[in-house]
Amino acid sequence: MIIKNRVMHTPEGMRDLYGKSLQDRRALMKRIHDVFESFGYSDIETPTIEYFDVFSSDIGTTPSNELYKFFDRDGNTLVLRPDFTPSVARAAAMHFADSDFPLRLSYEGSTFVNSAEYQGRLKESRQMGVELIGEDSAEADAEIIALTCRMLLASGLKEFQVSVGEVNFFKALADKSGLDEESTETVRELISNKNFFGVAEVLDGTKAAPEVKEAMQKLPQLFGSAEIFDAAEAFALGKREKSAVARLRRIHEILCGKGLDRYVSFDFGLLSKYNYYTGIIFSAFTYGTGEPVARGGRYDLLLGHFGRENPAVGVGLYIDQLTSSLIRQGIPYGR
Amino acid sequence: MSQKRYLTIALTKGRLAHDTLELFERIGVNTAGAMDKKTRKLIFTNEELGLRFFLAKGPDVPTYVYYGAADIGIVGRDTIIEENKKLYEVLDLGYGKCRMCVCGPASARKYLEGGDQIRVATKYPNIAKDYFYRRKNQTVEIIKLNGSIELAPIVGLAEVIVDIVETGSTLRENGLEVLEEVLDLSARMVVNQVSMKMQNDRITELITRLRNELSKNI
Repeated sequence: MIIKNRVMHTPEGMRDLYGKSLQDRRALMKRIHDVFESFGYSDIETPTIEYFDVFSSDIGTTPSNELYKFFDRDGNTLVLRPDFTPSVARAAAMHFADSDFPLRLSYEGSTFVNSAEYQGRLKESRQMGVELIGEDSAEADAEIIALTCRMLLASGLKEFQVSVGEVNFFKALADKSGLDEESTETVRELISNKNFFGVAEVLDGTKAAPEVKEAMQKLPQLFGSAEIFDAAEAFALGKREKSAVARLRRIHEILCGKGLDRYVSFDFGLLSKYNYYTGIIFSAFTYGTGEPVARGGRYDLLLGHFGRENPAVGVGLYIDQLTSSLIRQGIPYGR
Repeated sequence: MSQKRYLTIALTKGRLAHDTLELFERIGVNTAGAMDKKTRKLIFTNEELGLRFFLAKGPDVPTYVYYGAADIGIVGRDTIIEENKKLYEVLDLGYGKCRMCVCGPASARKYLEGGDQIRVATKYPNIAKDYFYRRKNQTVEIIKLNGSIELAPIVGLAEVIVDIVETGSTLRENGLEVLEEVLDLSARMVVNQVSMKMQNDRITELITRLRNELSKNI
């Protein structure tokens, strides 16, 4: 009998997992889940399929053309979830009484992003993460960053850096600059690519005040350990920028107290194309993978989209990126 | 960082690599014989500074850097835009200056004004698409070629081409001219996101030294 090749293969970006590599992966995920529990988080499951509106462009998540979309019987657009945070925010807004807050929720499952580029990146990838909903404080931010460090240590990684930024520093400057939405987006991208000569080029033709231009050009270089706070303060023109720096200082103090400061650095040029971030934002980097192994941040307005305003902060860990960096660093991660 | 790691630098084969190695020599970095044209070695190591160099084809340089196989890459801005990978673009090296242009015979100029569906041949389909679709709002058919792009309008494969123009002599010899300018180009230094965080001190120091050397010439 001839079996057509097509049905023997998984579609591009999808894969089978079995045997030892699956056992090792399960063991790794168990250790990470233990960290979630030790911080007092309890599991939540949300559906794989959600209405398109949960991930729409006003919420500012994955670009629409990278979502797997289809229709239900009534013609509503549905999507396979590209990330968990909006789903968990929706569920939190829907199901919990005021007295339940602050909520500590953890999740794990597959996410689906139909990225067109040929980059060997999986289209179905496994994520684990937590959301702390109902608390706006440096303590809450620091808790999530500490949890990120703890779970990476539990995975077996020894060398990694969690790079932390604060989007308000840039947002305040962007408001002051009077740039339109499109130029703001261009500048945001240039800053997050550390392309400061590009930033200078774009700003040259605009009417932004010279001190705003100078601060924006400085942003891509404002990264490093705690000593950059003083430099950042020198470019903090208004109250919003000053309080962004103060917040990061406070987070740094708390992390020092926990002995985790050596895993953490700061980067005022760290920005995200996910529009929902409103405060701290961070990425965790390690050797052996071109992309961050975990990403997170504060999203105080997201729950408002689902009818219940509440501050929140969270982190998502990319299990496939993590296992590939553990393998490349020669760190066994099974039992 | 317990064990010593190499800082790996991917260079674009050809003139760009030559100019870059010369620049490194000027800031006192011994480039370990990478300039020797006769050698068949693929990778060159400077043990004392913990640096490694290798040569790659232009479009592959962003790929090596994106995956972290190289920490740093030296590559033209055209390639960075065309490949569109998430990289830190930290330094304009100033050399390798040229322009990305729409070129063709003078008689093709009329096609760029009207709404005719024309064919555009190029090695840079993403840049060409972005220019015609987003900046000019003109629907065109893009044909990807891998070299000797100037041939396309001569033999009638396409009405115009989008290509790099340095002096314009190849164009003139073939009866073509620059019709519109798309982008200014030069050599850039790109850095892997992870390397920038994990080896910040070494990379920042290298960038600062290169920047100081470059500013001497202006």
